[in-house]
Amino acid sequence: MITFALTKALPGDPVYTLVGERSSPEIIEKVRKEIGADKGTVRQYIGYVSLLIKGDMGRSYYTNRKVFDDIKSKFPNTLALAAGAMAIAVPSGILLGLLSALKKGGISDRVISTVSILFLSVPVFWSGLMIMLFFSLRLKILPPSGTGGLQYMLLPSLTLALPAFATIARVTRVSVLDVVTMPFIRTARAKGIKESSINALHIMKNALIPVVTVIGLDFGSYLNGAVLTETIFGWDGVGRFTMEGIVKRDYPVIMGCIIVGTMLFVMINLLVDVIYHYVDPRVRIHGAKR
Amino acid sequence: MVPSGRISACILLCITILSVISPALTRYSPDAIDLDSLRLPPSLQHPLGTDNKGRDILTRVMYGGRISIAVSVVAALLSMGIGLFVGLMSGYIGGKVDTIFMALVDLILAFPSLLLAIGVSVLFPPGIYTVMIALSSVGWASFARLMRGQVLSLKESPFVEAAKAVGCGDLRIVLVHLLPQCIPLALVMTGMKLGGYILTESALSFLGLGAQPPTATWGSMISSNRAYINSAPWMVLSPGVMIALTALCFNLLGDDLRDKFDIGNNRDVK
Repeated sequence: MITFALTKALPGDPVYTLVGERSSPEIIEKVRKEIGADKGTVRQYIGYVSLLIKGDMGRSYYTNRKVFDDIKSKFPNTLALAAGAMAIAVPSGILLGLLSALKKGGISDRVISTVSILFLSVPVFWSGLMIMLFFSLRLKILPPSGTGGLQYMLLPSLTLALPAFATIARVTRVSVLDVVTMPFIRTARAKGIKESSINALHIMKNALIPVVTVIGLDFGSYLNGAVLTETIFGWDGVGRFTMEGIVKRDYPVIMGCIIVGTMLFVMINLLVDVIYHYVDPRVRIHGAKR
Repeated sequence: MVPSGRISACILLCITILSVISPALTRYSPDAIDLDSLRLPPSLQHPLGTDNKGRDILTRVMYGGRISIAVSVVAALLSMGIGLFVGLMSGYIGGKVDTIFMALVDLILAFPSLLLAIGVSVLFPPGIYTVMIALSSVGWASFARLMRGQVLSLKESPFVEAAKAVGCGDLRIVLVHLLPQCIPLALVMTGMKLGGYILTESALSFLGLGAQPPTATWGSMISSNRAYINSAPWMVLSPGVMIALTALCFNLLGDDLRDKFDIGNNRDVK
């Protein structure tokens, strides 16, 4: 409902953009009827919702293709990008976060902390351009833009991964530092368990719980970043689709993308909650008590 | 430890001062087109080079800084104001008001923030006020939540009870007793969030939803010059460095503030 109100209030008449400013009134009227803009706002809204319930998001004003089909066909590309970014960010973030927590105050800790706060401060659209400049325009080892296989995917994934890596590393560090002070770690040490297995079993298992949440919540920022990154790298995904919709005032497209993005975000959060129950028995007990 | 917070505060002060007094420092106009000096690499006349229309990049970066920083700061303060208001209302009155406000907060936090900001900013004609509105309409929610927690815990404290016993009205309790207790926390949180505001502001102007050409902002300088990234990388380099530097300083400052005031360590609701 909110997205509908938002897009309805957009300035600029799509009909004019569609047929051009100079077309005759008759043509404008015809097109207006075609896309249903001649009906009142309320009726448009009711029509839209009843379509939406049926899983239909209407058609793009420009291509006249079904928005839902377009999103469906572009979605795997965005997902691939997000997966690629996670594949880079999650292991490296956890590993380096752990490293910097275990050697707290050391050189590696300082370097990792500095680098991660740096990555959090660099805007993705700029780091994307710099990565593109360096790897594909100067070194010429990877293609600068386009959609396709792994060689096309690597740079945008890397761009998306930078802030995600930073967040994960920071959270892992704080979380490990938190767990290390717990009594059961001292107990484990007192029992003479090897340091390496304390790290792997006791610390990591407990420290990873907040990290799981952050990885899930970060999905929202993947969606944010996808709009920018896909635009820069010419990646044919939902993010670029959204951007094109905004530029052309193509309401069904903007609405569809925002709705799908938000639904996805909410679903991921739900999924994280479910995973939580499996990872952390304490949550389960609390839930049962209620 | 290195006092990174203080150093970043100094750098931020320098950036702000340089931006504010920029007309006195440069002999170029930020928007004047000079067709004799298109895309010049950095030199003595143009320390950061010139752009596609022959405009001095250093000048534009300084003028752009004015807009980018001003917009972010105003938006952050605006969010703080709305957040304070909603948080105080919600925490103090409780009941239905609380339920409705918090549902709204949850709703806003459920949206991916940049998508929502884009959604809001396409409502209005693009410009700096639009960006301010977009940023604050997304940003107030987290302030409201924190303030509500603060008010909830303050509400039970003896001094509020004493005020009530002396016969203070609700309005007086909220304005005179609760508000001053919330403002320091709100200001600290503003400092923590400003880095994010700078980044989102530049993202919106990168997408062409912010101040319109020829006005320079850091984000729009990057987007309008990115076509020349291979032949003239300096045009994209310096605004990006400025965004990153400013955001970095705000983030470091924010970290420092958080450590000092111990925010976000779940002392929300007791």
